[in-house]
Amino acid sequence: MLELRGVSKAFAGPVLRDVTLQVPKGCLYGLVGPGASGKSVLLKLLVGLLKPDAGRILVAGEDVTDLDEIQLHRVRQRFGFLFQNYALFDFLTVGENIAFPLRQLGLTDEDELVRRVAERLQAVALSGFEARAPGGLSGGQKKRVGVARATVTRAEVVLYDEPAAGLDPVTSQKIFDLLAREQREAGATVLMVSSDVARLLTVTDRVGMLYKGRLIFDGTTEEALGSRHPVVKQFLHGEPDGPI
Amino acid sequence: MSDDAEPEDRPRPPPGALAGLGLGALGLLRAGVELQGVARRTVYWSIRGRRARGVVLRQCLEVGNRSVFFVSVTMGFIGMILVFQSGLQLLRAVPDLQMMGATFLEALVRDLAASLTALMLATRVGAGIAAEIGSMVVTEQVDALRMSGVDPVNHLVVPRFLASLVMTGVLIVWAGAVSFFAGCATAYFMFGVAPRTFLNPMLVDGGDLLTGLTKCLAYGAAIPVVSGWCGLSTFGGSEGVGWATTRAVVNSSLAVIILNFFISGASFLVFPP
Repeated sequence: MLELRGVSKAFAGPVLRDVTLQVPKGCLYGLVGPGASGKSVLLKLLVGLLKPDAGRILVAGEDVTDLDEIQLHRVRQRFGFLFQNYALFDFLTVGENIAFPLRQLGLTDEDELVRRVAERLQAVALSGFEARAPGGLSGGQKKRVGVARATVTRAEVVLYDEPAAGLDPVTSQKIFDLLAREQREAGATVLMVSSDVARLLTVTDRVGMLYKGRLIFDGTTEEALGSRHPVVKQFLHGEPDGPI
Repeated sequence: MSDDAEPEDRPRPPPGALAGLGLGALGLLRAGVELQGVARRTVYWSIRGRRARGVVLRQCLEVGNRSVFFVSVTMGFIGMILVFQSGLQLLRAVPDLQMMGATFLEALVRDLAASLTALMLATRVGAGIAAEIGSMVVTEQVDALRMSGVDPVNHLVVPRFLASLVMTGVLIVWAGAVSFFAGCATAYFMFGVAPRTFLNPMLVDGGDLLTGLTKCLAYGAAIPVVSGWCGLSTFGGSEGVGWATTRAVVNSSLAVIILNFFISGASFLVFPP
């Protein structure tokens, strides 16, 4: 479903180096790695928010690397995206935030919009929050509104960037369970980036690990947990001593 | 450095003077291409885009109404200072100040009202636009707009562009009037020039009006486009927003001055004094 072939990206210094990765259709793929290893950049490359310096990016077999902004609009309609910093529009209410992608897809039936927003808010346990302003929500509530907005269009592919960052352990686990349930119900392909490895691995089918911009591991969750690669082993088990 | 450092991570020697010059030129070229892209998309979406009701009106309030006090006070004082200083200079050369009002009015209509008001709007409006859009960039709201299939230029720059086109013209006319009447009062109290003598439109012709109007439109278009581009090219966190705001004020002011040069030059050729 998602494929990167030899993708490299640099800003002031190299961020991704020759990354090749495949995410199969319907898979819940977890991408892990230490801070600044290029995880968020990889997500943004997939949807054309950033352009790679080298390599190709394919979505459902279509090469989207060189598409312009208007062509990318069509590709992005297949995606839902939860941003690391929630990215809720502060000039809209919670309800309007969730309805925003639907309106841009051309849905104008107000009753249907209200119904879809209420259904999504119920799914993330925030019923009745439609008229609230994003500024008045806690971090966990903002994340859940972000999840509602990312999933409201029932996209084929959903990308989650640090869905539980900064949340307490209970809320984190609730968020991961919610995302896994959403993925099972919708049958979507999910690529999830998280530093909360312990909780992430409870929901993933496959795992990839980025280290210094390189994909050093790609396999099933069980293979990841049993990996003898010193970096993977140290990171996944949180060992203080090792190459990292 | 750790043993497993990649070759491209190793520090590179600083570029030489020539390479630095080349990098600077490339950066300038890239900025020009980006600015041109924002300007092109602004015009395109102004014609083709759809906007929610009231969006442009809200921006008119922000750009126009909220600038009235600042512009009025500044232009009032500038009018008084200009008339006082030019009166003193004129008295050294000629004892007659009858044409002072007519000359002042022509200068206001042809250049001063538009250019000085636009420079003030570049600071107030330009900084506001860049700060607002820049903070949306660093909180990923602009990326979220793009993910929803919305061109940020259409959503964020175009309403401000349309509002600025209208309100810059309105503010310039208002500021010119404030400045002229403040100058009129100064001429009366400091030099004894009667208001009826000062209020003399005989030097203002169609060329002056057309030049002034062209400047109103050009500045009204340039300030939101340049500031919007600065906001959209923000990177980093709050420090990046600060930089974007500073760049917006500097670049918008530069745009006003450069446009003034070219429009005044063209006007001089088309409508010679």
